[in-house]
Parts: sequence; structure tokens; C-alpha cells
Amino acid sequence: MFKWKKLGKAFTPQEIGGRSWLKEFAQAPATLIFDDFVRVYFSCRPAADRNGQYVSYSAYVDLDRNDLFKIRQISECPILNLGGLGEFDEFGTYPVSVIRHGDEIRAYYAGWTRCESVPFNVAIGMATSRDDGKTFSRSGNGPILSYSPDEPFVLSGPKIRRFNDVWYLWYIAGRKWKMVSDKAEPVYKIRMASSQDGICWNKLHKDLIVSKVEEDEAQASPDVFFSNGKYHMFFCYRYSSDYRGGKYGYRIGYASSTNLIDWVRDDARAGIDVSDDGWDSQMISYPHVFELDGSIWLAYLGNHVGREGFGLAVLDGRLE
Amino acid sequence: MRTMIWKKLGRIFDPEQHKLPNSCTQFAQSPQALVFDDFVRIYFSTRAIDPGNGKYLSHIAFVDMQKNLRDVIRVSDKPVIPLGRLGCFDEHGIFPMSVLRHGGAVYGYTCGWNRRVSVSVDTAIGLAISRDNGLTFQRVGDGPVLAASLHEPSLVGDGFVKVIGNVFHMWYIFGTGWKKFSLEAAPDRIYKIGHAISKDGINWVKEEARQIVADRLGKDESQALPTVIEIEGRYHMFFCYRQSFDFRKNKDRGYRIGHAYSDDLMNWTRQDENPLLDVTPGYWDSDMLCYPHAFECDGKVYLLYNGNEFGRHGFGLAVLEK
Repeated sequence: MFKWKKLGKAFTPQEIGGRSWLKEFAQAPATLIFDDFVRVYFSCRPAADRNGQYVSYSAYVDLDRNDLFKIRQISECPILNLGGLGEFDEFGTYPVSVIRHGDEIRAYYAGWTRCESVPFNVAIGMATSRDDGKTFSRSGNGPILSYSPDEPFVLSGPKIRRFNDVWYLWYIAGRKWKMVSDKAEPVYKIRMASSQDGICWNKLHKDLIVSKVEEDEAQASPDVFFSNGKYHMFFCYRYSSDYRGGKYGYRIGYASSTNLIDWVRDDARAGIDVSDDGWDSQMISYPHVFELDGSIWLAYLGNHVGREGFGLAVLDGRLE
Repeated sequence: MRTMIWKKLGRIFDPEQHKLPNSCTQFAQSPQALVFDDFVRIYFSTRAIDPGNGKYLSHIAFVDMQKNLRDVIRVSDKPVIPLGRLGCFDEHGIFPMSVLRHGGAVYGYTCGWNRRVSVSVDTAIGLAISRDNGLTFQRVGDGPVLAASLHEPSLVGDGFVKVIGNVFHMWYIFGTGWKKFSLEAAPDRIYKIGHAISKDGINWVKEEARQIVADRLGKDESQALPTVIEIEGRYHMFFCYRQSFDFRKNKDRGYRIGHAYSDDLMNWTRQDENPLLDVTPGYWDSDMLCYPHAFECDGKVYLLYNGNEFGRHGFGLAVLEK
């Protein structure tokens, strides 16, 4: 079992003022490392509208490279505009995953639209930055990864990586909408696509992670990291109903692979769980692993899927 | 090009004269033919009322006609394909469905409709396969085979598929964006005709937002339901086109039939006037002409199409006089 040492919450959106679009939530942390700071992208929300509905934006906070609990800067505006009328990302850009590519930084993000019979649908878009990741412009008005016969809706949670000159996109795809107490709840599974250029994608058409707690287990945040000769995936999973409370809510799982296609799930090794009390006592989710100055770090969300921000843990030992 | 003339044969199917499956009444839209040895099966989209909110749900049905294309043999009495599951692209309607024979089966390319909140709908193209000669179709999956992409942001639909030289060709429409043409109006959509190819009919490569037929009414022209047929060694495409707002009631802005031809399946020359299909004052197609489908039967080239009110009152037929 990995030994993660929890260091506490690193960012609390409620403490940040002057940004009407950043009132609460700091979801799905994703890092980009600079010489003297670590830029952590996250997704946040303004106050809900009069119907109680949210839109979500993505932004970043720069943490001091020598002390990740010291905030150096917070983006003054969202990194990306919402999409136009009727477009796939009209109501939200969440989550976002970034990668350097030459002089540019590319972002892959999930765009949200609103539907009549179910609350939303999601597809994955791409955007590019030429100012070191401060702002991004969309590569097109439509998604870069969309629905297919075996992935009918809710393509979300992109995580972009490059291994051996191949682009990989891990993401989740909706399997069914399940009616729970007259509310449609999405069930989704972890999937993967690969690409030579990051634009034209080939889906693997395979569930990567076997379901554990129930057939309709929902899986999210497939965060892949290469270390010591194999690929490690930290992800999160939950039950399909009553998951907003603690008992059936998100937990962090783990799987490993040597070929990126066949994964062995072994949650017992994940090594991080809810705390007895505090901000991550009911739920723990959206893991993101990064390496910094010889240490392996894990950014993650706590209760209410990041409503109060994200925290950090550091690995005691090797990721192997 | 030599002169071609459509001779109108009149309305051949009125949905109000028949009992339709799924409690549908009125509408027989986008007729599409599948020719058998001794009859012609014509699929169309008809409508039921959604009990939840009074909106329409489009369903596929068919009518079998004698090869004289005048006498009705029967109308389908059970669902040809059910609507999609909760949250799927084809949950709120299938309209239209393009059919072709392939490898002993009948492939049906569906245009599935799902309702949105900020705009009325989105669409995508699905594939369903029939192994009982087109009586019923089963989806290859819950999701679409062709959907929105980087430069085709919405409303991918109206797929028409033809296999030419071992390659599947699909002509379809893609939305270029929604637009509010006036403050009080609901958003209207604009769409153009595109092209994609495939080796297996399932995995498609789009030309990605290349508009293959030139606009006649300017950039806000909407083009819909392409159909392609080979006539004497040249490919002919028929489609319908209209202004993008005030097109439902204003007969001067509503759908008309367009035409383009190509010798290489890549470059299309628009030529709406040859052959011209025009409205007939005082008849069922006096104000509007839309949703064409060209097919060959016993050596003749026919065009099925809808008239006024987008096909509320059925479809008619024209035959090509060369």
C-alpha cells in the first residue's frame, strides 16, 4: 500500500474575493510546473442562477514551488470563455487537463450543455494557449471527442498525457442514465483514446477498470502517471445512488498497467482514504498525481466534490 | 448538360387516410424508398404527441406500394425502430431514416433528435441494421456513428448513404451555428451539406465542415436532406434549401428543391433549374417543396418529396423525363 501523507487543504475558493465567477468549488486539480511555481488548474462556479443552476469555469492558482501552501497568484479571469448558443460547452468548462506542446499549452476540457430529459450532456473540447497557460482559445466550436455507438453521452473528465510520442486521452463515458427517486443520475466508466497529433483520436472502445462496488459504479478522474517501469492510475469511484453523502460517495481507487490497455485494479494499494474529521471526512475524489523536485504529490478533492477546495498529500516512498 | 424534366405524378400518400403505428397522426416526412422485386417499401417519419409536454415525437413507419407507385399494399402496423433510451441522441425522434441494402442486411441511417434547453434540439446520425428485410431495425449501439465535431458544432443529421466502389459515402448536414434573427424570436439554425466516407459504414471520416454545395440564398441559406443518384454516368444530388428564418409560414422563404451534379463525387456544380421541380399553385405542394429522395425503379428515375407544411399532408412523386 502506498503511504500518502496528507498535508491539508491548499486552496479554498471561499477565501478568494473580487471574482464573481469564482464563488465556490475548486474541482479537478491539474498541474503545470514552472521554474518557480506550480500552476494548478481547477474548475469553479459563480453563485447559482435563480433556478439554482450553475455554470462552471476553469481557472488556475499558482503555488510557490518551494512551499505549495503559499499562493502566489490567482487568475484574474477564467482561462476559457463558455461556448456560444447551442454549442457543446455553452454552460460549463469542467474539468480541464493541460499539456505543453512546443511553445503552446493545450487544454482538453469537458464542455457542458443542458438537456430536457436529463440535466446535462458533456463532450470533450480542445483549446490552445500562447501565453503560458493564462488564457486559452478554443480550437473549434465543436468537440474534439464526441459520442459513438458505445459511448452515447457524457464524455467527460479528460486527462491528457503523452507517452513514447503518442498522445493519450483518458476520459469517462456515460453508460446509462439511471432514475433514482425521479432524478436522472449518470453512470460512467473510464475509457481511453490515442492519437498521433492530439486532434484526430482513435477510441480504444474498452472499459479499462473493472467495476467493484456495484455494476453501476461510476468512475471518474483517470489520472495516469508513469513511474518505475509501469503506469499507475489513480481514479475515483462511487455508487450510482445516494452518493452525495459520505457512505456511498467518492473514494480513491488505484490500478496499474504495463501496456496502457490492460489494467489491474487494486484499490487496497491506493493508500489514501477519507479522514476521521475535517474537510475530507465524507468524500475523497479527483486525484491528480505529479512529481516535483524528487517527490510524488497527490492533489485531490474532499467533501462535496471540491466545493471547499482541494488538498495535497505527498508520497512517503516510491510509486512502484 | 442536356435538359431534364421532372413530371409531377401528384401526391401518392396521405397519412390521414391510414392507421399509423405508435398512435401517430398526420405527417409522412422524408420518404425513402427500398425497392423489392414486386413492390416498393417507402419509409417515412410520422409524429406522435409526447404525453409529457405535448411536443412531437417522430417515429419511422413505412408503406408498401405496388410498383406502379400508386396503389398501397399496406402500412406498417408495428414500430420499425423504437426511440432511443433516456439521454440518448435519438430519444425524442427519428427523422429521417435513409436505407440501403448491404451484405444481406438493410442498413438504416437514422437522424436522431434530442431536446435541449437553450436551443430546441440537437441531432446526430445513428446506424440500425435490419435482418428481416426492413420490417424492424436494431441499433449498433446507443450512441451515434456521426456526431458534432471540432468544426461541425451541432445538428449533424440527414445522412444519406450510398456504397460506391467499396466505399461508403455519406452526404449529410451539419449545423454551422444557432442564431437569433430578432430579439423576440427563438434561436434558428443554419445548416449545410457535408460529406464523409467509411470502409465499414460504422467508422466515418468527415471532410470536416467542408460545405460541398454552394449557397444560392447567401450564407444564411439552410440546406437539408441530400440524396444522390447516378444518371447516365453522372452523379446528381437533390436536396432542399430555404432561408433560415421566417420560413415556416412565408411561402417565399420556405423550402425548395435544389440540385447539383458531380463527375468525381468531390466537386459539385449547383444547377437548381435543370431539372427544376417547382411549386404548383392550388395544390398540396403550392407553398413548399422539401425532403427529396431520388431512386430508380424498373429503369425509371423517381423523386419522392414533401409539399406544404414540411410533409404534414403526405408525400408525392415525380418521374424524370430525359
